[in-house]
Amino acid sequence: MNQAQEREIAPKRKRMLDMIMVLGGLKEESAVPLSKVKEELQHLRSELEPIMGEILEFPEMFFAEFIETAERLSLIDEVNDQGVLNKAISDLKQSLDVSSSPSLEHLLEHLTNALGRFEEKMDETEVTTTVDFSTTISEIPEIIARIDEGVSKYEIDAKAEAEAAREELERLVNELQEILTEHESQPKPPLDLLDSFQKLGTKTRYGPFLRIAAQIKRGVREGRISEGRSVELVSKNALIELYRGLIMHTLNKMGSKTTVQLAETLDVDPSLIQSAIVSMLKRGEIEMVGLDGDAPLFSRVLGKTPSTTLSVKAIIQQLRVIRSSVEGEALATLDECIKKLGGIFGRLQILGEYDENPLSEPVNQLREIVNSLIEATMTLKSTDDAEDLRLLVSAGLEAFARFRLKITLEKGPYLVSDVNAYGEQLDPERYAQIMDSYLENEIERSTLLILIRELGAMTAEDLAERTGFPQDRVFRHLLRMKRDELLTIAGERHGYILYDVPRTPNEAEVILQTVTSIAPQIANARKELESSLKDIKAEDIGRLANALEVFSNARDKMSKISVKGVSIAEQVLKNIKDKIHSAVVLAYRTRAKLPSTRSKVTIEDLVDVDVPTVLDEYRDQMGYAPLLGFGTINWDHSKCLGCKSCEISCPEDAILLKPIIKVSNFFELTGEALEKLPKNKSLFYQTVQNLAAKKPIEDIVLENDIPGFGTIEVDLWLCVACRTCVRRCPGVDEGALELELKWSLPEVVRHLTTESQ
Amino acid sequence: MMTENKSKVLLCTCGKQLGLDFGLLEDNVGKLKLASTIVVHDTLCQEQGLSVIAESLKENNGRVVIAACTNQKIQPKIDEFLRNRGLNPSQIQYVNIREHCAWVHEDVNEATQKALDMIRGTLARSALSSSYETARREVPAHVTVIGGGIAGIEAALSLHKFGYDVTIFEISDDLGGHVAKLPVVAPTGKPGREILSGRLKALENSSIQVLTNTRVKFIEGEMGNFTVHYSIESDEEQTLTTSAVVMATGFKEFKPTMMDEYRYGKSPDVITQFDLSQMILSGNLKRPSDGGDVKEVVMVQCVGSRSEDYKRDCSKLCCTFAIDNSLEILKLVPDAKVRVVYMDIRVPFENEMIYKESREKGVDYIRGRVSMVWEEDDGLHVKFYDSLLDQYFETTPDLLVLSTAILPSDSLEELSETLGYALESDGHIKELYGKLRRTETRRRGVVAVGAVTHPQFVFESITDAQAGALIIHNELQGGKIERVARGAVLNVDDCVGCSLCAQQCPRGVPLMIEQTEAEDEEQKILFKASIETLNCHSCGVCQSLCPTGATQLCFLSNEQLWEQIKATLEGAGPDYPITLCFYCEECSVSTMDIAGTRHMTYPASTRFIPVPCAGRISIIDILKALENGASTVMIAACEKDRCHIGGTGNEIAQVQVNVAREILNAIGWKGERVDMFRMFSAEPERFVYAIKIMTKRAKELGPTPVHQGTAGKWVEVSE
Repeated sequence: MNQAQEREIAPKRKRMLDMIMVLGGLKEESAVPLSKVKEELQHLRSELEPIMGEILEFPEMFFAEFIETAERLSLIDEVNDQGVLNKAISDLKQSLDVSSSPSLEHLLEHLTNALGRFEEKMDETEVTTTVDFSTTISEIPEIIARIDEGVSKYEIDAKAEAEAAREELERLVNELQEILTEHESQPKPPLDLLDSFQKLGTKTRYGPFLRIAAQIKRGVREGRISEGRSVELVSKNALIELYRGLIMHTLNKMGSKTTVQLAETLDVDPSLIQSAIVSMLKRGEIEMVGLDGDAPLFSRVLGKTPSTTLSVKAIIQQLRVIRSSVEGEALATLDECIKKLGGIFGRLQILGEYDENPLSEPVNQLREIVNSLIEATMTLKSTDDAEDLRLLVSAGLEAFARFRLKITLEKGPYLVSDVNAYGEQLDPERYAQIMDSYLENEIERSTLLILIRELGAMTAEDLAERTGFPQDRVFRHLLRMKRDELLTIAGERHGYILYDVPRTPNEAEVILQTVTSIAPQIANARKELESSLKDIKAEDIGRLANALEVFSNARDKMSKISVKGVSIAEQVLKNIKDKIHSAVVLAYRTRAKLPSTRSKVTIEDLVDVDVPTVLDEYRDQMGYAPLLGFGTINWDHSKCLGCKSCEISCPEDAILLKPIIKVSNFFELTGEALEKLPKNKSLFYQTVQNLAAKKPIEDIVLENDIPGFGTIEVDLWLCVACRTCVRRCPGVDEGALELELKWSLPEVVRHLTTESQ
Repeated sequence: MMTENKSKVLLCTCGKQLGLDFGLLEDNVGKLKLASTIVVHDTLCQEQGLSVIAESLKENNGRVVIAACTNQKIQPKIDEFLRNRGLNPSQIQYVNIREHCAWVHEDVNEATQKALDMIRGTLARSALSSSYETARREVPAHVTVIGGGIAGIEAALSLHKFGYDVTIFEISDDLGGHVAKLPVVAPTGKPGREILSGRLKALENSSIQVLTNTRVKFIEGEMGNFTVHYSIESDEEQTLTTSAVVMATGFKEFKPTMMDEYRYGKSPDVITQFDLSQMILSGNLKRPSDGGDVKEVVMVQCVGSRSEDYKRDCSKLCCTFAIDNSLEILKLVPDAKVRVVYMDIRVPFENEMIYKESREKGVDYIRGRVSMVWEEDDGLHVKFYDSLLDQYFETTPDLLVLSTAILPSDSLEELSETLGYALESDGHIKELYGKLRRTETRRRGVVAVGAVTHPQFVFESITDAQAGALIIHNELQGGKIERVARGAVLNVDDCVGCSLCAQQCPRGVPLMIEQTEAEDEEQKILFKASIETLNCHSCGVCQSLCPTGATQLCFLSNEQLWEQIKATLEGAGPDYPITLCFYCEECSVSTMDIAGTRHMTYPASTRFIPVPCAGRISIIDILKALENGASTVMIAACEKDRCHIGGTGNEIAQVQVNVAREILNAIGWKGERVDMFRMFSAEPERFVYAIKIMTKRAKELGPTPVHQGTAGKWVEVSE
């Protein structure tokens, strides 16, 4: 296997390898005697018993009070986004399926009614409002100023954070330099050097470094890594991973930086940063977010772009649409706004993640104003003749089609009057046709956008029905707009994808989302707790701790909720705070005391380990299992009938019967093996042997399938060791296939080490 | 497996016309240990001769070998004669000493020797024969029709007349399909409803069950025992047991939304012919954009048809359809201007009359293409090119009507997965054999009628439906099937459940049945095949592939064929290299017989063995022939895509030949000693050519390792 292939490990296999590493790691911990296990569990039980009742009850109390407050302050009436309502309803239903709760039932009723009102509204004809453009536009700069202020505050905060981080970072950098200078003058044994690295590394919490350090240690201890090799591994590989950790730490704490800035901060040569950064880019840990002068600016990869950032982007595009409907002073104001927002958008991108709440209010306000302007633009146009409408809308939508439109508009007439670099001339008719179809597409797209914005998330089918556009075209538009980030995917309905515009939820919506998303988590955790508390077993502790953690997190979230300044169940949450935290700590502490509740596993043991059992235990201990299993399929040609049943039955398409005849194997068959084969199969091999004037060496490779012949190939990266093929094989005796449930761990470790190099 | 079962041999001299040494034959056949007695007769096919045959059945358990003219000619006569007398002819074997020996070889001695060898082989085959009897089976006299259009209704009514219970599944809320929505059907001049009315009435007065708004999800099982899984208006799934299925799901009109140039779906005034039909039928012939009068219409032919990007071939109906509609427009608006822009006008049969009528009434036919369609304030603009005048014209019609392609209906592919019929590349159902078996599909008990196989006119759909009903009636025989059980017989005890038969059977007859409720994860998942012999088409593909010999044709077991190969090739050696030819009893036998009838000549160093279909020949049979001294082996089979018996038997034979050649090359032989040739009865030269090649190769390649004694000596020789 070459390097390139190695990098493309199937995700399933990657998880498997992670799990093996964890299982392998268990070796370092010693087994705990049974008496000690019992004692610990008894202790846990006696500690938990008095507080569990209260813990289990507090969510319901919170929900009851929440509903009361929500009713009093008409919170639900403020929910404007149908998507939020739908999601909330489905969360509640999910939760009620697991366990009953009168207050949640009540909430569900409210939400269902609210949704009903929405649907009624949807059926009403759209009301057109007249908007005074210049007055409305004049409101915008003030809001933008507020947004600007908010962003500046973020930047100040970010700077302050960076400043604070700088000190810590400088300390780390100095320590590292000390270690290195000291090592240079008086070399330490590699493992000692690694130890001092590790002290620094734990502060950066950079996974790849921690892993490589642990691997090197284990490798040396087990004699798989030689002394000389370990010196090299520590001083080169581990060190560069440590630097990567520092880079990550810097980007995390101090925001985006260029290579040169990073080199300065870490006080090393820029070339070192350069080479370290390449792997980080490849690993998808960092990305390029912009330019500082000519130098690329790097930031760590964010899980999700904040929705306010997306909203700002959409608003800019909408404002461009409106541009063509206004003139004079209003136009100047508008252009100024677009420019400013453009700047803000860039800054938000550099900021990356931030607390959206302070920003969401002004952004939403702006959004509403712009929406009303857009509507007005559209209705305004429909009274005009069709040609104007086309021009206006298409020009406005320039934002997301900027480049295409530019080319068509600017280059088009030029191409008609002149020739291009290849001496071709564009037919004026053809140009008109291109423009027509282009402009028409833009109109259709904007219609779809407006509908979705108004009526909430919709499927291609809904849209086709409402607009009367053919569904295939609607679908194409949606895909295009999805690619342009004008739309996002908001879930599914009856198996159809729901498209929505990026929305920033208002306060009421955020609260409702938070509360309803907690509900099903609590319901599931509660069920788990109730069942495992009856009789605590060592292997359940992982799940127990997870469930308690869910309660604890839910409490934290609940305590942050306030409806129009009114906190909910403040006292209840306060009272439970310490109890629940101590319950979580207790569970984790007990788990830490019983690190391995089954006999210890060494890497060598893993070779012969019964994988399904290990997986079950792993799941119980850690609360999840990465996959079904793994193994190697061995094929015995002499027993194979070439019937393809394995290929047909394999649920993962991992096993194939290839049209390759290993004809030399025909000659290995004698006596008993021949006798055991089905009559005609055996006769065939005998006849070939009887006829042969020489024994072949090479395989016969054909293009198409040959019923009854072939060679089995198993893609081990796909096989999940479900044994279906083994069970289905009708070959001699127990069949021609055998599943070997083992994995050569030394090989895996080697695999991972080469990976991180 | 040796046996001493003897057979009586009847030699026919064909009125003393055959150039064979009958004296020598009589002497030598008499000496064969498997021949009980030998009778030389001049006219076996005449009354007197037939009586001799009937008499002969009394000895040797009915084992008789008849060496005469082609069994294609003589066997039906003999069978009828014997059956009328209550005798069972199933153990008579035939050797063709006329078309395959006497008439095609110049040297009498060589021809006689060939006849003798083939009689010896056939005696060996006869010795192991067993008799097969008439079998009976009762199946529900129920047929399912999928699709309630004209073809489905007609098929249902015909089947009902034959006495079957019929259920029609219709996905829409009403019967009648496309025809119900046509204002006029050429060449009758009647509206579609009127053509349907009598049939719908008959349907109402019958006990035929009609399920509308019903979707068939999938169908499993085999002829005589299909289970239809369906749901009515997305309710829960229900099932129905039925014995046969008529596929009559018709067609769908191509909606050219992706062909931007015609602006269909963008401009409301651009419609398809079917849209226009519905407008005419509802009496609302107005401009869809603003309800204005329709005074000018442009029709465009071949939209999506005859186009590499959409449908490659001609959709056949659209020309007639457009003419029908233009005449209807003229009826409603006599001064309307109708232009038809076409590539070729294709109106077969009496539809030519309405074409003529339309020309007389002033429909303007323009040979050319539409070059551009666009909208302006004053409405739709069309620019077209007239290739006869070499000129562009621009007009502003009220309607632009597209004659779009005819496509197969939806979900044909989905149903094919369980129902097992084959599909054409364009998605229509593939007929079993385009020339001779048009309504049958690859799967037994499933017929395809109407536009589901290709675009059809109304009258064609009707005859198609009637033909399909007859095919099903012929198969089901009213539910009490009684026929000679000639086909594959499965010995369940020997079956290991490898499913090769089920995977490869050209007609989907074997079913795999799971034996265990494998709950235990350690347990094997066991299957056993199940073969209904009465459903079998006797091609022998299952037998050729079966690793255990569990499934075998009841009239040609493995042992029978191997003994015949051995006996036929007795004495074959390097001095007189023999070419053994297996031939299928479909295209190949006709080709060979015609070569014989025309007295074409080819080398006599050839020996023939008949098989029902080339797919019956396994790689073992080929190797056995070489093992027993043949110098070359050939298979004569039907043309590509023309396998008569099962659709793909010849292709499976080709695979066996390919593999045999590769293996022979690998083990120190010459792969060219084995080959396969496709036959076509109208071209007997093909067989003569093939035989000449193979006999030439036999000479040129010289002695085989078997002749040289090096076969099986691989232990000493490594490459």
